[in-house]
Amino acid sequence: MMNQLYLFARLAGTRIAVETREVEAVVKLAEISPVPGMGVHVAGLSALRSRVLTIIDVAALIRGQRTPVEDRGLAIIADISGHSYGLMVDAVYDICQVPEGELPLRGQLDPAWLSYARGIVEHEGQPYLLVSLSGFIEAGVLAQAA
Amino acid sequence: MDELLQEFISETQETLEALAGEVIAWEADPDDRDRLDAIFRFFHTVKGSCGFLNLPRFERLSHAAEDVLSEIRAGKRTADPATVSAVLGIMDRIAELAEAVAIGAALPQENDDYLINALTAKEEEEETPVADSVTAPVAVARASGGQAAPRTIRLPLSLIDQLMNGVSDMVLARNELSRKLRERNGDPELESAFERLSTCVADMRDAISKTRMQRVDRLFTAIPRMVRDLGRDLGKRIDLTLEGGDVEMDREMVEMVVDPLTHIVRNSIDHGIETSERRLALGKPESGQLKLEARQSGNQIVIEVSDDGQGIDTARLVDKAVAAGRLTAEAAARMSEAEKLDLIFHPGLSTAHQVTAISGRGVGMDVVRANVERIGGVIALDNRPGRGLTIMLRVPLTLTIIPGLIVRAGGLHFAIPRAAVVEILHDNNETLQISEVGGAKIATIRAVRHSMIDLEEVLGMEMPAQTGPRAIMVVRSATGVPFAMGVSAVDNHEELVIRPASPLVMATGVYAGMTLPDNGKPMLLLDAAGLANAARLPNIVDDRAALLAHEAEDAQNRVEMVPALRFEELTGERRLLKLSLIERVEDIDAHLFGRSGGRGFVRLDGRLVPVANGHHGFAGDKVAALRLRDGSREACYPVAAVLDIVDMPAVPDMVAMQGLLSGVAVIDGEHLEVINPFALFAALPGEPVAEKDRGRCLLADGEDGWTREILAPLLRQAGHEVILGLPADAAVDPRDIVLFSGADATQAADMLASDMLGCRVVHLRATPRPNGPQDSSIYRYDQDALMAAVSGSRASGKA
Repeated sequence: MMNQLYLFARLAGTRIAVETREVEAVVKLAEISPVPGMGVHVAGLSALRSRVLTIIDVAALIRGQRTPVEDRGLAIIADISGHSYGLMVDAVYDICQVPEGELPLRGQLDPAWLSYARGIVEHEGQPYLLVSLSGFIEAGVLAQAA
Repeated sequence: MDELLQEFISETQETLEALAGEVIAWEADPDDRDRLDAIFRFFHTVKGSCGFLNLPRFERLSHAAEDVLSEIRAGKRTADPATVSAVLGIMDRIAELAEAVAIGAALPQENDDYLINALTAKEEEEETPVADSVTAPVAVARASGGQAAPRTIRLPLSLIDQLMNGVSDMVLARNELSRKLRERNGDPELESAFERLSTCVADMRDAISKTRMQRVDRLFTAIPRMVRDLGRDLGKRIDLTLEGGDVEMDREMVEMVVDPLTHIVRNSIDHGIETSERRLALGKPESGQLKLEARQSGNQIVIEVSDDGQGIDTARLVDKAVAAGRLTAEAAARMSEAEKLDLIFHPGLSTAHQVTAISGRGVGMDVVRANVERIGGVIALDNRPGRGLTIMLRVPLTLTIIPGLIVRAGGLHFAIPRAAVVEILHDNNETLQISEVGGAKIATIRAVRHSMIDLEEVLGMEMPAQTGPRAIMVVRSATGVPFAMGVSAVDNHEELVIRPASPLVMATGVYAGMTLPDNGKPMLLLDAAGLANAARLPNIVDDRAALLAHEAEDAQNRVEMVPALRFEELTGERRLLKLSLIERVEDIDAHLFGRSGGRGFVRLDGRLVPVANGHHGFAGDKVAALRLRDGSREACYPVAAVLDIVDMPAVPDMVAMQGLLSGVAVIDGEHLEVINPFALFAALPGEPVAEKDRGRCLLADGEDGWTREILAPLLRQAGHEVILGLPADAAVDPRDIVLFSGADATQAADMLASDMLGCRVVHLRATPRPNGPQDSSIYRYDQDALMAAVSGSRASGKA
């Protein structure tokens, strides 16, 4: 726990941290084929070599608004229960170890983030919200079912 | 969980599966020492291993079973049905426990003593003769088998999937490399090396896909046990035959077929095969025959389940459908036997008089068909009333490759399984009529009404404006009721490699999976039943018989119809022209059209052909044109677009002779003007159009290789008449052009003489540079100058 590696990124304008064991890779998004009939949080399908990724517009999941096509840049690739996903993020900063590990949440969290934030990770004096990628996928499935 | 335990559990589960059939066979033939030994060995192994792994419940159960079996082996006991049931009970419990350990759940806290007592209790009861009219052993005959199992190893599935993905990546990389190689100049050595690599990759792909294959035997393993248990419960004697267990099919496919097959077998035993007494009364053998047969046919696996029971009583089926309000009595009376039989696939219709515990719980053949069709399969019945029923399942060899249609809707491409599509028509087809009421669309195709949806609407996409006709597909949903679906177009037919989509995408319910075509853009596979559900289409039995009645009626008062081409004029009107006048339709270069003496002409195959509607001067490079012929004369009719071929009445619905038109015909509710062919040809110029402007090309050096092989074809291609050598009678027309390439003086003099006759002479030279300032010849490979000289700009050549 002490030497956990984290990926630091910006998502929907917020600094986030993701445990690296959840992350397979970070890629630049190629062309996305839309999936009609889905909520705004599913941007579509994209091919990564012979794999097909389901691209999640995480910002849309949190804010309820689709990210414009020209703002789509990077995606974190993750394998969640046997399926490949790409989770769109605004920017990726760094991957590094945080000796002090996960800290409890403090302050009044934006309700939009409430169901995703698990804690705080500090990096270079800045707090980052610790989130779980599979949490986004689960929320996405729920949002679709609703 | 440590590795040893995992190994033990999976081995136990596998052996259990294989043994279930053995136990049944052993019961039928208790003297079969080999089978008894195999079963005994199983319990012995389990007992040994679980003592070592500290699994006391396993140990106790297997120990008890082992004891009983060893007594039977020693001849102290006989294998009566009760004992076999008890042994089976123990095996079931062991399977449950193994399952619980495998998923890490708490072991089910049930009383094992009960099972163990059942084993031993029989010992006392054995003395009392049991009335065993119901304890009918099932005779199992396996057509194949008895061969030594090939050596195998156990591999995690994830590893195989990883291999599959690796090979797919390799194929993609190969394709890219092949593209790159094509762009460069061909190096035969490199190419042959690449060929070799390609072959290896293809072989590898085949081999890897084989790892997903499994013997159909696995599908059959549970059957004997089920037949035995059901036979006992229902008091029926059944002889089971299993054939073709060595046929291989996709692992996932096996899993998908298990449920439908189980259901069919259950139905056969419950509803099909009669009780022994009844069979004897009917003069049939006492034991019912049930046969399961698997075989490969092309890229499909055919699984047949046949019994010699009572078959399906179609009359009762119809009565039920009528009673349920699914069908009018009138429509039922018109139905053919096959259509009546088809009712068995409609939800909620079962021939069972009463609902039993085994089947007839409302989960019927409709679900079976739905499941079979979901995997791209087909189900067919062969009903022999009173004598039996054969149900045939045809399923693709593998789940992952299915034939599919690529459709376009809302600017996107989708795939749909070919098996789900019954028919495709364009929405301007006259057999189709689309009406709308209260927002609902109804497509009537040849008098059969279908619920209609537009794919864009169901998926919430915008429907882009479209010039051509939309495609209407009749799609059979898994519930068996076909519906009509409108899409922009049906583009292609392809074998698709289907992979599962993520749960997020599947949650929409309208997609069945996805595929990655060669262009690298992922495409979604539509689920026909899901679309029907999403659109909340009602489930109504269509009245097929009405169709036949309608057609018969139609034939009676049919007016004489002739095929006609529907097209759009350059001025925008839609018109019809009798098809028999049209020789062909072709795209003609716009610059070939011209005008002379107030009439339009087009230069075709070296002739000038009159343009029937006088158009000339077009926007694009190419013009679609109809080539017409009245037997001797021909004409060209440029149009904006050719729409389709329809049947029009030989006499227009409204006769109105006016100019080129003979009247108006109504096709699919659209009023179309009909071209009058008489007026059309009558208006053409009487004389064939004379070619005024062009002469022949006389090639003076007819014997010369270059002239013959290179120059002559070039000129002919450009549309000139070419004559090799100068005509002997010197009949040189002033419009002719003489070409020569010789350099000697006498020839040049001759040429000049002919030049005096008034025709142009073009002198070609072999060197790029002129021989001097006086040299007016043209370098023979200077195509532009050559063509300009020949086609008459007098400035060149003899300037």
